[in-house]
Amino acid sequence: MNDPFEMLGVERRFDLDLKVLEKTHRELSRALHPDKFAQTGASERRAVLEKAASVNEAWRTVRDPITRAEALFRLAGVEVGEDKEPKASPAFLMEVMDEREALADARAAEDLVKVRAVGEAMARRAKETEAKLAAGFASSRGDAEAEAVRKLVPLLGELRFYKRFIDEVSAIEEEND
Amino acid sequence: MTLLEIFDPKAPPRAIGIDLGTTNSLVAYVKNDRPTAIEDCNQRALLPSAVHYGDRGEVVVGQDALLRAAEHPRETIVSVKRFMGRGADDPETRRLGPYAFTAPKEGDANVVRFAVRDRLVTPVEVSAEILRALKRLAEDELRSVGGAVITVPAYFDDAQRQATKDAGRLAGLDVLRLLNEPTAAALAYGLEKKQNGHFAVYDLGGGTFDVTILLLDDGVFQVKSTGGDSALGGDDMDRAIAEEMFRLAKRDVAAATPGEVRVVLDVARQVKHGLTDALEVEVENPLGTEPRALLITRARFDELVQPLLERTGTACKRALRDARTKPEELDGVILVGGSTRVPAVRAFVAKLFGKEPLADIDPDEVVALGAALQANLLAGDGNTDDVLLLDVIPLSLGIEVGGGVVDRILPRNTTTPAAARAKYTTQEDNQTGFEIHVVQGERELAADCRSLARFTLKGIPPMAAGMARLEVTFRVDADGLLGVHAREDRTGIEQTVDVKPSYGLDDDTVEQMLIDAIDHGEEDLAARRLAESRLEAHRIGTSTRKSVDGDPELLAEGERERIETALAALDVAAKGTDPRKIQLRIDDLDASTKAFAERRMNRAIAQAIEGQRLESVERTVEHAKGVERAHGSPLPPASS
Repeated sequence: MNDPFEMLGVERRFDLDLKVLEKTHRELSRALHPDKFAQTGASERRAVLEKAASVNEAWRTVRDPITRAEALFRLAGVEVGEDKEPKASPAFLMEVMDEREALADARAAEDLVKVRAVGEAMARRAKETEAKLAAGFASSRGDAEAEAVRKLVPLLGELRFYKRFIDEVSAIEEEND
Repeated sequence: MTLLEIFDPKAPPRAIGIDLGTTNSLVAYVKNDRPTAIEDCNQRALLPSAVHYGDRGEVVVGQDALLRAAEHPRETIVSVKRFMGRGADDPETRRLGPYAFTAPKEGDANVVRFAVRDRLVTPVEVSAEILRALKRLAEDELRSVGGAVITVPAYFDDAQRQATKDAGRLAGLDVLRLLNEPTAAALAYGLEKKQNGHFAVYDLGGGTFDVTILLLDDGVFQVKSTGGDSALGGDDMDRAIAEEMFRLAKRDVAAATPGEVRVVLDVARQVKHGLTDALEVEVENPLGTEPRALLITRARFDELVQPLLERTGTACKRALRDARTKPEELDGVILVGGSTRVPAVRAFVAKLFGKEPLADIDPDEVVALGAALQANLLAGDGNTDDVLLLDVIPLSLGIEVGGGVVDRILPRNTTTPAAARAKYTTQEDNQTGFEIHVVQGERELAADCRSLARFTLKGIPPMAAGMARLEVTFRVDADGLLGVHAREDRTGIEQTVDVKPSYGLDDDTVEQMLIDAIDHGEEDLAARRLAESRLEAHRIGTSTRKSVDGDPELLAEGERERIETALAALDVAAKGTDPRKIQLRIDDLDASTKAFAERRMNRAIAQAIEGQRLESVERTVEHAKGVERAHGSPLPPASS
């Protein structure tokens, strides 16, 4: 896979200014948009289409914290993917079990305010984990990068968990709309 | 003079925009910088999307076809858009009118076939008749028609888009682009009114409903989300009124003749139009039974359409959620489609979004006007730097994996053009082929999604289960059309398919239809091929000269000479009459510019990134200046 960071011309790091990056993506889209090449020959049109698709893919990857972290792990030579990562620690599972129960209760009671509050609490935890990942990636450059980065993998697992939880919250909100 | 003008062979080809609608279609172009709908000799811009096949083999399109619908319901196809890209076995197709269908023969493409008199026609052919009529209309006005942009509902799936493009090709149009209707509408509003902000486009047409949330930001039209229902529209309102009329007339719909159904539907449509201004409409009972007069009030009509409106509301809420936008964050709601004239619809939209919708551009014309603007830009007649359309995939694309479950490869609302890959492996020992089933839709199970295509990757040497490494790549182009590429990593075996959908016509069939059209005396294929090749030669020649003159510093040693030679050869071929020769010279030119084009593209990318860096450096410097004034000490220059 290509390096999405290189594609967008940004430094390879976790804490990126997404506002700036969105503009970069937009400018790249402007430069590469197939509409601008409607008059040109077939091979140029194909090449541009390919590039434009890659730029969109790169933006999709870095925009989302989970896929961004996955890309950073992969580029550091650490294989990730749900079946390759260690199971969540019992401590973490204990910690979030209460939240799960709170969500189930709120749903059963059709208490949408509570559902939303539980979701927001989870979103805050996700932000904290993202901050840890950012710091971890920033301090693990250099010779032993892969080794240092490998220690961060459980944080990715946490992020996945939070995302699923937040998706569930949206689904509950959706069915009560 | 007039005669001279009419036959002026040098009239430059003009790009046109076409709204190929369920009920009405129209064509527009940009005249003195303003998009303008083209009217027929009776000053009507709307061409009813009706095609009548006469008993002497003649084909009648538009108002005249509509007039024959009552007498010849089976030979007059209306609302053909609803059949586009649908399978003959799709239960929805049976529900849609009084037509006689013919099941496809074994081995034939699974598409709808109408039996009209002694021939069979597909929806693609019927749509091509409408497009031909529009093309003639445009030719009368412009003399020479160049490329065309045809609009499609944003919610159209791959099969429906492909069918539309095929129809354009069959009608002899150079289809520059398929453009989503809501984007076209926003383009018409955005460019004319210079609006910025978040907009919702609520498009209730004759047979389709779309809702799109987009962000307008200084010429960038970014679609945030889109949703809708490709089988919901004004036709359903007519049907609801017609069913009410049958009830009032105490007649059973199921026992009515196709002619009676047609007549009642026509009266129902008039009732609907009447209720836009009046609070009640009384009509003579078209079935000739007691009671003699039927009364429909607006209150009753509002009740009848309420379930349809609720369905649009669900789609709107989902689109807002997908765009992470709240109704109060919207800067405006744009109304599109004749059905949005219905007062109940306006009231519903105002309540749903909490603001009065915009309707200052004619909702029947706005889509074609936007398409004309886009066609103009694509033809190179407008300033493309000002406008950028970022569209999305309306429905998730995926592959069927074990247990009939869908593995989503490109989720809905992904910006196009898009590409994504997924890896798979073998389930069984010594499995030598992969069956790849491409589907589109949001459901978990492949059986509940739309089947787009099936193909098999064969010839993989026997290995233990889980050893083979299959990589599947999806690519969606700017028209929203999908191409799939599959490759087995260990052996390098690969296969590419343009998704010619499970419900579509293959290229050979479209080609055959073109040839058939000549048999019917409608087209001169050779002349047309020549004209098309010349147009392409002209287009590519002009654009190549422009790039060579524009970026001479990117040319390598001797490259300019090679390109000039290829250009000269193309000019000679284009003066001749052999389209194959022209095509060969186009290919040669293409090959000679390949490396140069690559360099130009890479520089464009570098410049876009550099521009962004400069901007952020400028911001840093701005910021630094503030600091400088406070502390009086110079800052080191920003390092790259």
